[in-house]
Amino acid sequence: MRPDKVFVIARREYAIRIRSKAFWLSTVALPVLLLVLMIVPTLLASRAGSSKRLVVVDETGRLGASIVQALADADDGAAQVASFEVFLEPPAADPAGQRADLDRRILAGEIDAWLRIAESDLEEGRIEYHSESVASFLSQTILEQRLTETVRRDRLSRLGIAPDLADGLIAAISLRTVKVTAEGSREEAEGAGFFLAYALFFLLYLVLMIYGQQVMNGVLEEKTSRIVEVIVSTTRPFDLMMGKLCGICAIALTQLSIWLGTVAVLTLPAIVASVAWLPAEVDVPRLEPRLIAHFLVLFLIGFFVYSTFYAAIGAAFNNVQEAQQFAGYAVVLLIAPMLFFFLVIDDPDSTLSVVTSLVPPFTPLIMLLRLAVKAPPAWQVALGYAAATGFAVFMVWLAGRIYRVGILIYGKKPTLKELWRWLRYA
Amino acid sequence: MTDTIELAGIRKCYGDFVAVDDLSLRVPAGGIYGLLGPNGAGKSTTLRMLMDIIAPDRGRILLFGRAREAADQDRIGYLPEERGLYQKMKVADHLLFLAELHGLGRSAARPRIAEWLERVGLADRAGARVEELSKGMQQKIQLVGTVLHEPEILVLDEPFAGLDPINQGLFKELLSEARDRGRTILFSTHVMEQAEKLCDRICLISGGRPVLDGELATIKRELQGNTFRLAADGDLDRLADVEGVESVVFGPEAGARTGARLILDPGATGADVLRRLVEFLDVREFASEEPDLETIFIKAVRDAS
Repeated sequence: MRPDKVFVIARREYAIRIRSKAFWLSTVALPVLLLVLMIVPTLLASRAGSSKRLVVVDETGRLGASIVQALADADDGAAQVASFEVFLEPPAADPAGQRADLDRRILAGEIDAWLRIAESDLEEGRIEYHSESVASFLSQTILEQRLTETVRRDRLSRLGIAPDLADGLIAAISLRTVKVTAEGSREEAEGAGFFLAYALFFLLYLVLMIYGQQVMNGVLEEKTSRIVEVIVSTTRPFDLMMGKLCGICAIALTQLSIWLGTVAVLTLPAIVASVAWLPAEVDVPRLEPRLIAHFLVLFLIGFFVYSTFYAAIGAAFNNVQEAQQFAGYAVVLLIAPMLFFFLVIDDPDSTLSVVTSLVPPFTPLIMLLRLAVKAPPAWQVALGYAAATGFAVFMVWLAGRIYRVGILIYGKKPTLKELWRWLRYA
Repeated sequence: MTDTIELAGIRKCYGDFVAVDDLSLRVPAGGIYGLLGPNGAGKSTTLRMLMDIIAPDRGRILLFGRAREAADQDRIGYLPEERGLYQKMKVADHLLFLAELHGLGRSAARPRIAEWLERVGLADRAGARVEELSKGMQQKIQLVGTVLHEPEILVLDEPFAGLDPINQGLFKELLSEARDRGRTILFSTHVMEQAEKLCDRICLISGGRPVLDGELATIKRELQGNTFRLAADGDLDRLADVEGVESVVFGPEAGARTGARLILDPGATGADVLRRLVEFLDVREFASEEPDLETIFIKAVRDAS
């Protein structure tokens, strides 16, 4: 290896990217996109439930009005997720006929759902609910909550308990969450820790994929434009690959530093304190320097595990279409940790969490998740880092062998058997 | 004096196809050496092996009289047959990159780049992106990138391909200049006239094997007095059967043949052969001439097969 040449190549990769509009555009656009991806589904979900037309048929004669009132209560935050337009209809003499008629009105689109409150059902703790879709999880959950509250109030009042006393009896409890770390305990908004882990996980996933693709496209550009002939006449193909990887890695680190630096500054206690909408005693999750350091190291390891794969693919194939098919394998390995996302977040010390975080291709993403949620035992972090670093070195070696042959072979698409032969070729 | 480049018994196969077979050649220091041969003769493969881009299956390659060293990469300038530049880069930045890649410092490279761009008439395009230039201009940029670090050896694969006559002239001038400054230039071509005007020494290869090798002047002298230009009407196809005629080379013109070049057997004289020709041909012209490279080449390939 000639470090001077690796440096010249890396510097070119860095210089052309840092000067490009695309780099600065993505530096601004990616966080926006990430936020949009996380916030929009929540917003959409809240809009989706807006105003369901609900007919309530009350056979008991005493619950109808309070149900209408409970569901119409717009001051509640839940009303943003699902609100109801309630029509109270008296029970008919012919219950079967009324049922059929209400079902028909649902199918005709006149109403969205209807409820029938019968004394016999209430005794069993049930209320009959008809709708075209009984899978609207959010609105049904809210409906259930409201109905439960109303029925409980009714039961308590029938036991002779005064309404204001009843309110106190059925008031819900929520957790006051305090995160315990070696550095000390501090109060954190519920779900905030989840949000941080989620954001860091997806950020790492995205940059690994985006910069892996950049490596692949860069290699393909050199191969298809044939400039590679000039470069490998002055340096070894391995140096060219390393130069390319180092340059693109440096640009990725630059971008990550901009993002993480911005977030770290924005979550400084002094700045958070000046934001009015949070209760004074609650901290947003703080992006601590230690976590940033872990993130960057895990990115480095992940980069050399995945980008080497992309580099080898770029060298082996002749155009983006051919290469893209094969690149899917890298994406599968990157996406696999998503399957474990909720399991790991829920219990970062479970056997599954520990094992997956120690499988080298998954280590960067899963270990990051564990670190973000709760500090894992030091030996596990050390072992994970060591194994993944070893794997990254192996990938550099492996990719280097495919690269040096592939980069100079034009024409037909290589078969797996040929790739195997390139690997073993001395 | 040791030869600057020495290839000894190199061989390269792709599967069953033998691209270069037992090729040996010596390129002395200084001067222009032409590696000639038809398409597919193995020229590019030979140059790529010389550049250590691909490894020979057999044989050895010596530079400056010893095995190749890593630092030698900076003493050679290589223009590959398949040209390529980063299309999105600015011309001056690209040249700076190529210069640095060859171990030249930035401060040393900048004035040379300006000088060379001036020389090839592209000074005003220094800030343009490569993709904005014509193919010919890109080729000039690539040649400049090959010579910026003032290499002792220039290896050029078909340097004239795709150039208009004016730029071909410019390239020839640049090569002659490099020779005058003591550089060793090895270039390949399949166009014989180019080689004829430029080369001090040549190696003709065909089917991956060398068929003729040596100083161009010596090769020509050996065949001088043995080569005749004939213009005649009649059954020219019978020429090859005439006693004393070793080879017949027809010109490229299509239609009925009215002329040929004859290379005589070493012992034969022009007068004897002419006497035999007039028996069946209406000879208009029969004159001794210096053989051109094309005639030499065709004869050599024929002799070899």
